Amino acid sequence: MIDILVFFIGASLLLYVLLGGSDYGAGILELLPGPASLRERQKHVINEAMGPVWEANHMWLILIVVILFMGFPMIFTTLMVALHIPMLALLLGIVVRGAAFTFRHYDAIQDEKSQRLYTCLFGLSSLWTALWLGIIAASLNRGIIDPQATSVWAAYMAPWWGWYPLAVGVFVACIFVFLASIYLISETTEPLLTRRFKRMAAVSNCLVIIAGGVVFAASLAERESLSAVFFRRPPTVTVMIAATALFAALWFAVRARRGWLTRVVAGGQVSLILIGWLLLYAPDAVTTVSGPLSFYEQAAPEATLRQLVLALLVGSVFIFPSLFFLLRVFKTKTPGADDNDM
Amino acid sequence: MDDLLAARATMGFSLGFHIIFAAIGMTMPFFMSAAHYFYLKRGEEAYLELTKLWMKGVAILFAVGAVSGTVLSFELGLLWPGFMQHAGAIIGMPFSWEGTAFFLEAVAIGLFLYGWKRMNRWVHWATGLVVGISGFASGVFVVAANGWMNAPAGFDWIDGTAQNVDPVAAMFNRAWLHQTLHMQVAALQAVGFAVGGIHAVLYLRGKARDLNLKAMKIAMVFGATASLVQPFVGHFAGQRVAELQPAKLAAMEGHFETGPRAPLYIGGIPDVENRTMKWGIPLPGLLSFVAHDDFDAEVIGLDRFPRDEWPPVVITHIAFQAMVGIGVIMALAGLLFFVYLKRGYFPRWFLWMLGAFIPLGMIAIEAGWIVTEVGRQPWIIYGIMRTKDAVTPVPGMVYHFYLFLVLYLSLAAATVWLFKRQIQAAQIKFAGGERR
Repeated sequence: MIDILVFFIGASLLLYVLLGGSDYGAGILELLPGPASLRERQKHVINEAMGPVWEANHMWLILIVVILFMGFPMIFTTLMVALHIPMLALLLGIVVRGAAFTFRHYDAIQDEKSQRLYTCLFGLSSLWTALWLGIIAASLNRGIIDPQATSVWAAYMAPWWGWYPLAVGVFVACIFVFLASIYLISETTEPLLTRRFKRMAAVSNCLVIIAGGVVFAASLAERESLSAVFFRRPPTVTVMIAATALFAALWFAVRARRGWLTRVVAGGQVSLILIGWLLLYAPDAVTTVSGPLSFYEQAAPEATLRQLVLALLVGSVFIFPSLFFLLRVFKTKTPGADDNDM
Repeated sequence: MDDLLAARATMGFSLGFHIIFAAIGMTMPFFMSAAHYFYLKRGEEAYLELTKLWMKGVAILFAVGAVSGTVLSFELGLLWPGFMQHAGAIIGMPFSWEGTAFFLEAVAIGLFLYGWKRMNRWVHWATGLVVGISGFASGVFVVAANGWMNAPAGFDWIDGTAQNVDPVAAMFNRAWLHQTLHMQVAALQAVGFAVGGIHAVLYLRGKARDLNLKAMKIAMVFGATASLVQPFVGHFAGQRVAELQPAKLAAMEGHFETGPRAPLYIGGIPDVENRTMKWGIPLPGLLSFVAHDDFDAEVIGLDRFPRDEWPPVVITHIAFQAMVGIGVIMALAGLLFFVYLKRGYFPRWFLWMLGAFIPLGMIAIEAGWIVTEVGRQPWIIYGIMRTKDAVTPVPGMVYHFYLFLVLYLSLAAATVWLFKRQIQAAQIKFAGGERR
């Protein structure tokens, strides 16, 4: 039972990073400078690409939250207490971002001033949320979370404070931009935009590597440096080598203009990075000062887990075909269907 | 404001905000589907315009509802870790089903909004209907979870921990049926009246009359039907509360002394100090009848409970009176609507009245949730865990509250502004269309 749930958490996280991550990246892309007319067309492409799917992409996060609080309530509450502040920041970003994106699309009067405001809010909140996602991810297993702490600093600030979580936040933001750029390359047929997205993909690819280096450097100040943990886990090392090796395949695919191949390779790279990170600490969800909280030791009673697995399996039977239908409807080009009379 | 009060205020505010969008999100897709159906069947352009107008409304409100719902799923842990630690495993089940339903809704709304020219028109129509059905289902699941807090079931509470957890029994607790029925009917009622009222006013202002009349009729058929069903559902709910949570019923009615032939008060403000009701009009025996179907039945009063287990009496009583009062008014208006619908003519005063009633349903929903939630205090799990034992140890909750207050108020203001622009733009467009 627990295996299935851990698998669902991992899979949801992966899908959230890949699908939701490219939505965040698209928002960050809109912050970057460029000629006004190009940015306007970029906005249009992003609206068209994200509009139908962003609500569904967002659901993976909610799924993770629900599995955690039903299946692993101790892990959930420990996180929500110790990481109260970053979670709050994350929520703030999610609210502003979703509202700004929808408002921008559905405002009946599309004047320049309000549109610029929505775009600005959408971009900033995308960046903000991505940073905090990274900070939260980095804070899970630092081993500083202390449920018994009495001082405000030790209990609510120290768990997520420091260069290392911040570096991971930046790393996550770079990955999201990378995913979005790759994804958007084949969403448009306009040469200028394609070139812009390709350039962004190349730049963010380099940034991912640099930020990754910074993450390792920043982890030197941690209780246990990342590289120390890293080399203790051979699967992670293998996975990371595979991720690096895929760069060659990626740039071949980009050059050959093979849209779907590019996406699959880039998605594969990011998946490998995420899987590598998950393998680092598995099966410990959180590490506190007094030791790790493992999924296997903190699970809810068996009867609850059975119901949760049942809900997830039944849900999958409904959700995956409908998601597939959604993608098929929108990712196959129908002539004339693009200018929707919204 | 201390941390407990700040946490309660934050939760109350978040829920109060979310419930408006949730109510609209789970009912308006049905209005939209009805208009869409008439368009597909009869081919009248006005129905297509109406479908698209409502679709945009649904899209905006769904997005706000979705993000505020996400906030709530986190806030359960951020504000009430003591509660979630025990309750998560017991009551997570409806949440996991709600997640499933909500996921389907998110997929279906993407298909409906963007799929106008991309699929068979009846398949497309069906995706719109799925938005409504899955939204409605997720509402049922969430309210069932709330029902468990009022009527805890599916576990044994031994030495401060839950043993022998049975999530199925927890979901189908004694309160789930009356609460979900009451809420779902209320959502249809409130949204039907609000949407109907808006279109009635637009009709009176002489804009796109054909479209607005059609819109008013569709929305009001839902709203008026619900308003006529609601008194029966409400009565059923009241009897269940009398049985499950006598302290809440006593607070709702300002009923201090246990006794037979208990009076029902119209209006009035409970004087908690002197344990009497001030300025209320008593209807002798009616409370006994409402609670137990018998004018002479004994109704348990607040005197049977220790003082520290009383809910805030004044707030609960006033909120309850507001809800019932509004319900009565709306039921009468609903009846009138059907009379005039049958005659095929709506007098102007009736339409103006509908305009005046736009906010009433939402006020009643808010008041009803205040009765449910404030009336359960001081308990978070009725009879098991007190709210003060569930609150987060994180200090400075006041800032959390202010942050969300500002966030939600600006979101509300932005939404209202957006809708004004929506209606403004639509009326210009349709007015042009009518002249053709």
